[in-house]
Amino acid sequence: MIMITSAGLLLALLLPLLAPLLLLARPGRRALWLLLPWLPLPALLLALFGETSIRLPLPWVLLGSELAMDGLRRPFLLLAALLWILAGGYARHYLAPNQSRERFALLWSLTLSGNLALILAQDVASFYTGFALMTFAGYGLVIHSGSEQARFAGRIYLLLAVIGEALMLAGLVLAVVAADSLQLAALPEAVANSERQTLTLLCLLGGFGVKAGLPLLHVWLPLAHPVAPTPASAVLSGVMIKAGLLGWLLTLPLGYAVPAVWGQTLLAMGLLAAFAAAAIGITQNDPKTVLAYSSVSQMGLLTLCLGAILLEPGLAAALLPVIPLFVLHHGLAKGALFLAVGPAQGRQPHWKTALAVLPGLALIGLPLTSGYAIKQALKQSLYDGPKEFLLLAQLPLLLALASAATSLLIWRYYRCLRSSTAKSSASGLQRWWLSSAAVSILLGLLLLRPWPGLPPQSYGLAAIWASGWPLLLAAALIALQRWQRRPGPTIPAGDVLWLVLPLARLLRDRYAPLITILSHRQQQCGQYLRSKVDRLLRAEQAFLDTEILLRRHSALLFVLLLALAWWLF
Amino acid sequence: MNSSLWLPPVVLATSLLPAIIIFLLPEHRHRLRTVINLSAALLKLSLVMVMVWGVFHGKSYYFSLQVLPQVALVLSADALSVMFAGLSSLLWFWTTVYAIGYLQGTENRGRFFGFFSLCVASTLGIALAGNLFTFFIFYEMLTLSTYPLLVHKGTPEALAAGRRYLIYTLTGGALLLAGIAWLQTLTGDLDFQAGGHQALSALGVDSLRAIFFLLIAGLGVKAALVPLHGWLPGAMVAPAPVSALLHAVAVVKAGVFGIIRVIYDTFGIGFSQALGVLEPLAIVAAITILYGSMRALQQQDLKRRLAFSTVSQVSYVTLGAALFGPLGTIGGLVHLIHQGLMKITLFFCAGSYAETLGSKRIDQLDGAGKRMPWTSAAFTIGAFGMIGLPPLAGFVSKWYLATGALASTLPWILLVLLASTLLNAAYFLPILYRLWFRPPPQQWPCEAPRQKTECHPWLLAPTLFTAFAVILVGVLASMPFSPLSWAQLIAAREYLP
Repeated sequence: MIMITSAGLLLALLLPLLAPLLLLARPGRRALWLLLPWLPLPALLLALFGETSIRLPLPWVLLGSELAMDGLRRPFLLLAALLWILAGGYARHYLAPNQSRERFALLWSLTLSGNLALILAQDVASFYTGFALMTFAGYGLVIHSGSEQARFAGRIYLLLAVIGEALMLAGLVLAVVAADSLQLAALPEAVANSERQTLTLLCLLGGFGVKAGLPLLHVWLPLAHPVAPTPASAVLSGVMIKAGLLGWLLTLPLGYAVPAVWGQTLLAMGLLAAFAAAAIGITQNDPKTVLAYSSVSQMGLLTLCLGAILLEPGLAAALLPVIPLFVLHHGLAKGALFLAVGPAQGRQPHWKTALAVLPGLALIGLPLTSGYAIKQALKQSLYDGPKEFLLLAQLPLLLALASAATSLLIWRYYRCLRSSTAKSSASGLQRWWLSSAAVSILLGLLLLRPWPGLPPQSYGLAAIWASGWPLLLAAALIALQRWQRRPGPTIPAGDVLWLVLPLARLLRDRYAPLITILSHRQQQCGQYLRSKVDRLLRAEQAFLDTEILLRRHSALLFVLLLALAWWLF
Repeated sequence: MNSSLWLPPVVLATSLLPAIIIFLLPEHRHRLRTVINLSAALLKLSLVMVMVWGVFHGKSYYFSLQVLPQVALVLSADALSVMFAGLSSLLWFWTTVYAIGYLQGTENRGRFFGFFSLCVASTLGIALAGNLFTFFIFYEMLTLSTYPLLVHKGTPEALAAGRRYLIYTLTGGALLLAGIAWLQTLTGDLDFQAGGHQALSALGVDSLRAIFFLLIAGLGVKAALVPLHGWLPGAMVAPAPVSALLHAVAVVKAGVFGIIRVIYDTFGIGFSQALGVLEPLAIVAAITILYGSMRALQQQDLKRRLAFSTVSQVSYVTLGAALFGPLGTIGGLVHLIHQGLMKITLFFCAGSYAETLGSKRIDQLDGAGKRMPWTSAAFTIGAFGMIGLPPLAGFVSKWYLATGALASTLPWILLVLLASTLLNAAYFLPILYRLWFRPPPQQWPCEAPRQKTECHPWLLAPTLFTAFAVILVGVLASMPFSPLSWAQLIAAREYLP
C-alpha cells in the first residue's frame, strides 16, 4: 500500500504535467484531446483509496519537496479530481475543432497540474509553484475566446494575480523566516509567535485573498467567469478559488491566540462578501455572472468561519473539520450549476431546468442535500462554542440570513437561465452536465450516513424549519418585488472596479503632466551629460590630431629637439 | 605531471591557442574554424568539469609565476572560480554554436571568432585569477578583446557605442588599478582567500573604505551599477551572440564576480560588515534594480528592453553579495548562474526573431508564437524565470535573496524585490501576450526563407538547451552539483573558513 500511494502521489502530478508532451506529434494531439477528462484519474483514485500517513519526500526537487495527502487535503483533492474530470469531458464537446484546441489542452493540463500540486504539497516551495502554475496557465483559459471583454477581464485577472503572487511570496517568506522551516505545517505556529506578525498576516490575507475573492480583491471573478469558456468557469469557481482558502487554512494561525483585530477583520470581510455579493448578484443578467457573485458570497461564509476561529481559537476543533467538507459541497454544486449553462439554457423541458437548479438548493442548505448537513454542523459548532464576543452569538442567525440571500441568487440564476436564448447543445455537453449534477446530488445522499468530522444530522421538525425559513423569506421578498413590479437597479459586473477605474484614470490624467515633466527633465539630464561627453570626445579628437602632427613631422621635431639640447648643454 | 599545478594554465590555453590559430587561418576556411572552435570549447568544458570534481573533493589547483618583486601572476581554482568557469565554458560552447549559425554567410568571421576566443580566455582568466593583480590583467584583456566584437558590424552606430564602451570601461579600469595599487602598497601581494585576510584589520579604517570605494567603482562600471551603467544599453547594437554573452557571461558578470572577490576573498564578509561598507553597496544595488526595471518599461526595442533588464537583474548578484548572512550570499551566487542562463536564452530568442522574422521591436512580435513556437516557448520560460516564478531558476535566487534580506540587518530589501517582481511582470508579460494571443501579421518585417525547422537549426538548438537548463536548475535545485548546492558549498566555505 505504501508503494501504491507513493506512486499515486507522483503519478497524480506527473500525468497532467507531462501529458502536453503529446502535442509534439500529430497523432498525439488527438490523443491528448481524447485523454483530457482522464488526466485527473490518478488523483481521483488517490483521493478515494490513498493512505493519509504516507509522505513522499523529493529531496532533489526545488528547495527540497515533499508530497502527501492528509485529512485536510483529501476533500480538496477529491473535489479537484472530480470537477476537473467532469469539466474536462464537458470541454471536449464545448470547443469546436477550429478554436485553438491545442493551446486550450496545453493550458488546461498545466492549470490542472498546478492545482493538484498545490493541494498535495507539504512544503512552501512546491505549494507556491503549484499556485503560480495554476494562476498563470489559468490566464490563458480565461481569455481563450480572445474577445474584447475576455481580454479586458484577462487584464484585470492578471493584474490582481500578479499583485497577489507578490504579496503571497512576501507572506510566505516572512512566515518561513519566522518558522525557520520550509514545511507548511510549521507555519501557523510561527506566524502566531512572529515578531513581524502584522506584516505577515497582511501579506497572507491579501495574497491568498485575491484567489479566495476577498471583498475588493474579488473584482476579477464576476468579470472572468462570464467570458471564460464554461468548463473553465466551472473549475475556476469550483476548485481554483478554493486554492486561496487552502492557503489560508495552511498558513494562518488558526487555533492560536492572535490579536482580536484579525478575527474581527475577517469576520467583517466575510459578512460583507456574503451579503453584498448576493445583493449585487441579484441585479445581474448573465447566469454565469450570477454564479460568480454566488461564489464570492459563499467564499464569504468560509472567510467568516476563519474569522470566528481567529477570534476564538476554541472553535478550531469543531469548525476546522467542517470547512473542507463545505469546500467539497460548494465546489461540486457550483460546478454543476456552471455546466448547466448551455445544455439547460432557454425554454427547456421542465425536468431539465429543475435539475439545473437542484444543486442550487444544496447551496441554500435544504434537507436531503449536501448543504443541509454542513450548514447544520456549522451552526451547531457556533452554538456550542464559547461566545465571548457578541457577534459570534449572532452568527447562526447571520448564516440563516445568508441562506436567504443565496436563495435569491439561485432564483435569479433560474430566471437568467430561463430567459436567455437556448443554445444548440450537443448531447455530449448534456451528458457531462448530468453527470456533474448527479455527483452533487450523490454527495448529499452520502452525507446522510455518519461522516467523520461531521456531527450526526437531525431531521427533527425544528431543524427542518431552521433550514427552510430562509427560503420562505426569500420567496416572500420575491413575491413583494413582483407585486410592486418595480424594475431593480442594475450594477455592472465587477462592481467596485467601475468606481476604481475612473479614479485611476483621474489620477493618471492628474499626474500625467508630472510624468511628462519628469521624463522631460530626464531627457535634459541626458542631453547635458551627452554634451559633456561630446566635449570630452572633441578633446580626444584634438589630442589625436596633435598626435598626427607629431607623427608627420617627427624628423623635423627630432632635429629641433637635438638643437635645443645642444643649445642647452 | 602534477595536474593540480598545470590544470589552470592548460584551461586558459584551450582558448588562447585556438584564438591564435583562428587569427592565422585564412578567412574562407569556415569548416576548419568551426571544428577548432567547437572542439576547443568541448575540451575546455571537460577540463573545467575535472576541476569541479577536484574542488568538490577538496583538491586545490594553484599555479604561480613571479613577474615582479612582490607581484605574482597566480592562477588557482577554488569553489567560486570553478563556478564561474563552469558557467562561462558551458555557455560559451552554446554561444559559439549560435554565433556560427548567426554569422553564416557574412564577412570577417575569422576576426570575429578570433576575438571571441580571446574573450573567453580572458573570462576564464578572471575566473581563475588567484589575486587582484592577475584579476586586473585579465579584466583589462576582456575590455580590449570585447571591443572588436562590439563594433563587428562597423556601422557608425556600432562604432559610437564601442567608443562609449571603451571610455566607460577604461576609466573604470583606471580606478580599479588605483585601488589595487593602493592596497598592494599597504599589504603586499594578497591571494584571494575564503573569509578574507586578517592582515587588513590592522590598517586604517578610512583608507580601507577609500580602497573599497575605488575597487567597487572600478568594478561597478562593468557590473552596470547605476550611474555607471551608461555603456550597456548602447552595447546592444552588437550582433546577438555578442550581446548574449556580454549580458550573460562575460562583461557584466566579470564586474559582479570581481565585486564578490573583493568583498568575500579580499576584505572578508565579516570585516566588510564591520567596516560599514555593505549597506551603501546594498542601497546602490537596490536603486540599480529599480531604475533598470523602470527604464526597461520605457523601451520598445526588444534588445534594449532586455539590456535594461540586465542592468536590473545583475544587481541581484551585487545585492546578494552585500547582504550579510549566508542566505543572501547563496542567493547572490546562485543568481550569477541563473541570470546567465535566463538572459542568454532571452537574447538568443531576440536574435532568432530578428534573423528569422526581421522583428526587432516589441510590437512586431504579434503572433510570433504561431510562426516560431519553440523559440517563443524558450522566451516564455526565460521571461517567467526573470519574473521569479517557480519552478524556474529565478525563483530560487529570489527566494534566497528574500529570506537572506529578512535574516540580515536590511529587511527593507524584501520590498525592493517585490517591486522588482511587479516591474519585471509589467515589462515581460505584455511581450508574452503579444507572442501567444495576438494574431500574426500578414507579412513579417523581413522574413528569412522558410526552413525545415522554424529557424536556422544552429540558432534553435542553443536556445532550447539554455531554456531547458533554466527549468532544470530550478526544478532540481537541491540536487548535488546544482548551482544552488554549489552556492551553498561556497557560502559554507566563506562563512566558516
